[in-house]
Amino acid sequence: MMNLTLTAQQARVEAERCLQCFDAPCEQACPTHIKIPKFISMIRNGNIIGAAEITKTSNALANVCGKICPEEIFCQSVCTRGKQDSPIQIRELHFFATQEEVKKGFSKTKPFPTLNKKVAVVGAGPSGLGCAFELSKYGYLVDVFDKGKPGGVPRNSIPAFRLADKELESDTKFLSKYFSLKKKTVDGKAFEQIQKLYNATFLAVGLGKDRPIGIPGEKMKGVLPVLQFLESAKANPKRMKLGKRVVIVGGGNVSLDAAATAKRLGAESVILVYRRSEKEMRVWKAELEEARKQGVEIRFLINPVAVVGKKKVEGVKCRHTKLRKQKDKSGRPIPVEVKGSEFIIDANNIIIAIGQSIAADWLEGVEREKGYIKVDENFRTSVDKIFAGGDMIAGEGTIVQSVAQGKHAAQAIHEFLSGKQEAASGI
Amino acid sequence: MEYKKFKEIEIYPARDLSYNFLGIQFENPFILAAAPSTDDLEMVRRGFQMGWAGAILKTTSVEGTKVDLCYPMMSAFEHEGRKLFGMGNIDLISEHHIDKVEYNVRMLKKEFPAKMVAASIMAGRKEDWQHLVERLEKAGVDLIECSFSCPQGNIGEDPGKMLAQSLSATELTARWVKEASKRVPISIKITPHVTDIVEVARAVKRSGCDALTASNSIQALMGIDIKTFAPTPSLDGKSTYSGMTGPAIKPITLRTIAEIARNVDIPIMGTGGASTWSDAVEFMSVGAGVVEFCTVVMHYGFRVIDDLNSGMSHYLDEMKFSSPKEIVGKALPNIVSHNELPRKRMRNHIHENLCIGCDLCYVACRDGGHNAIDQLENRIAHIDWERCVGCGLCKFVCPVDDCIEIMEWI
Repeated sequence: MMNLTLTAQQARVEAERCLQCFDAPCEQACPTHIKIPKFISMIRNGNIIGAAEITKTSNALANVCGKICPEEIFCQSVCTRGKQDSPIQIRELHFFATQEEVKKGFSKTKPFPTLNKKVAVVGAGPSGLGCAFELSKYGYLVDVFDKGKPGGVPRNSIPAFRLADKELESDTKFLSKYFSLKKKTVDGKAFEQIQKLYNATFLAVGLGKDRPIGIPGEKMKGVLPVLQFLESAKANPKRMKLGKRVVIVGGGNVSLDAAATAKRLGAESVILVYRRSEKEMRVWKAELEEARKQGVEIRFLINPVAVVGKKKVEGVKCRHTKLRKQKDKSGRPIPVEVKGSEFIIDANNIIIAIGQSIAADWLEGVEREKGYIKVDENFRTSVDKIFAGGDMIAGEGTIVQSVAQGKHAAQAIHEFLSGKQEAASGI
Repeated sequence: MEYKKFKEIEIYPARDLSYNFLGIQFENPFILAAAPSTDDLEMVRRGFQMGWAGAILKTTSVEGTKVDLCYPMMSAFEHEGRKLFGMGNIDLISEHHIDKVEYNVRMLKKEFPAKMVAASIMAGRKEDWQHLVERLEKAGVDLIECSFSCPQGNIGEDPGKMLAQSLSATELTARWVKEASKRVPISIKITPHVTDIVEVARAVKRSGCDALTASNSIQALMGIDIKTFAPTPSLDGKSTYSGMTGPAIKPITLRTIAEIARNVDIPIMGTGGASTWSDAVEFMSVGAGVVEFCTVVMHYGFRVIDDLNSGMSHYLDEMKFSSPKEIVGKALPNIVSHNELPRKRMRNHIHENLCIGCDLCYVACRDGGHNAIDQLENRIAHIDWERCVGCGLCKFVCPVDDCIEIMEWI
């Protein structure tokens, strides 16, 4: 059912299957705590716009999450109906409702209060938008800084076949009235200025820098860091040229996006290599299946050791691995290379998708932990009046988690600005 | 990372659904019917806090009335996978007598002065009816509903016999009640189990009472265990007739309300089978001024009020109605007698692009209609225009929305 919108009849029938659990597990599992049984009962009673309003009350990126939220790890994974037969297609119902609202025109919101305080949000991705919308509900004047159009990761690197621009825009258009968007690249100087001008700042600039893999030949022509690849494939799909044979290195969702994108761009063979086994992959099953369906070959227990080629990529030299019983910090068994197991996979392009780090280089003053911005339970950083959320505090997460962090941070900012909480964290 | 749950800030305005009916200001058209949900102070409190506009406290009587309950009392009419298509009960009136109900009324009116607090009463003798009315008026009720229609029968009547099944008893008792009331409107809750509902409504009108509550549960035999022949609900293999409520009885109530409204000029409180905001719109469109809910609340809880309010608000906006009151009676001019119906040549039309090839319409028409549907080779159904009379059966056996349409044959 991936990527299909339900018809009115399908939505009604599916909604009728919902048990309407009290204090429902799905609602608890959703990071933004959308009142799921309530919006489903509204769909079943024919109040579709009411249903859309329920989702939008809790989640600022309701259309984006309705389209691509990995429900299998959140709401749907705990659906009570799943204990009886199969879980309710919660995300599909959610998307059905929000898209009906888009067709009809956004419901009018009530006037929000006005407080005479200004908050800056740096970064217009899911976390920044989630925070900005929540702050504007409290009545703050919110300025959102971003160098490009609002959307962040969903706009720049999530492939268009998973999330169309118009689906993202059905959220960003709705949100645009509630804060002002400042198109500006924030650097050290601008950041200093922002701190002076605003009562509080929320940092949500995400990651944005590809992690190097650290093998010989990494800089060779034909080796593509994944973000760079996905961003240019999304911005200019026609100008993006790939060779016939593409190898992707990585084991997360971004690597699957890259693999599926490479396939769509016309690569004949797309091989994804991962140094552990399928069990250790941090991916959503639906995406993995989708990638396989598209003809992506996934090879496990393989570690690349060098790029092969003279001027440009001709292949990648790999070693087989085996898993130790011992586990690393992530709780997964540690892969070790098997001596003498070298082999070469022919490739015209190698896409490196082994993770990202924070690109912003103007944040020296803000304390980090394991490379990410360190925050306390109220999203406060080590610097007074500066809060942070999204991928920059916890690494690559889901959109819904980022929206939730933005929302919760907004509440913490509100408590701070209304004097209920100290400005500085214990960090 | 844990995501603390916090109270959402409402971002959509609450539409004003308030209006006046029977001289009472209702904040919305949705009222809790006299039932277990209104038998306990805490429960009504919760219902009010969640947004119900009013409640009719479960039927009470004078101290001497014995309320001899037996259990289990609930049962269900399961239909094609829907477990509670109809709900049955062999409950009686409240075990709380007038003292307790009087106290509940006082507390509720003090805490929720803007809500409609009503009581439901049942008695046998004139002095008891009148005594109940006087005490409740003093306690501060906004309205009194009189149960003339408990499916287990009225006090002082033969078992299973309801007051509202006798025109003379209805009129006489209604007069006693009206006589005793000085301040608040009286509504008589009637049963659809009569030969002519219009005559009953006229009797109530003659009595001078202010309104009718239409209508009570349907007397029903909820089921039989085909191995033990014990009826449902089984109490050691024995049972009695239940009062059935819920979605299964909605069309019966709709007809009852419509028939009264078409013939007698008397305000109606609608009840019996409404579960959703659109059910409420239907009830109001045939003449109900407000709608009482019971079964859906017993099934899903007071929280259903959120969709009732939201759905009604969006409906009013879409229809450009300024108040729920505008709905009242809207469908009545369209209900006519059979001989007044238009006689046109009708045909069914199958949108073949939507047909999924189940051929349910084919077999229904062949064995229950006019043998006017052919199966094409690809299983797609095809109407034979010569034989089709436009009866409409196929449209309703078709599992696909809007696949079959009934249209005029020109």
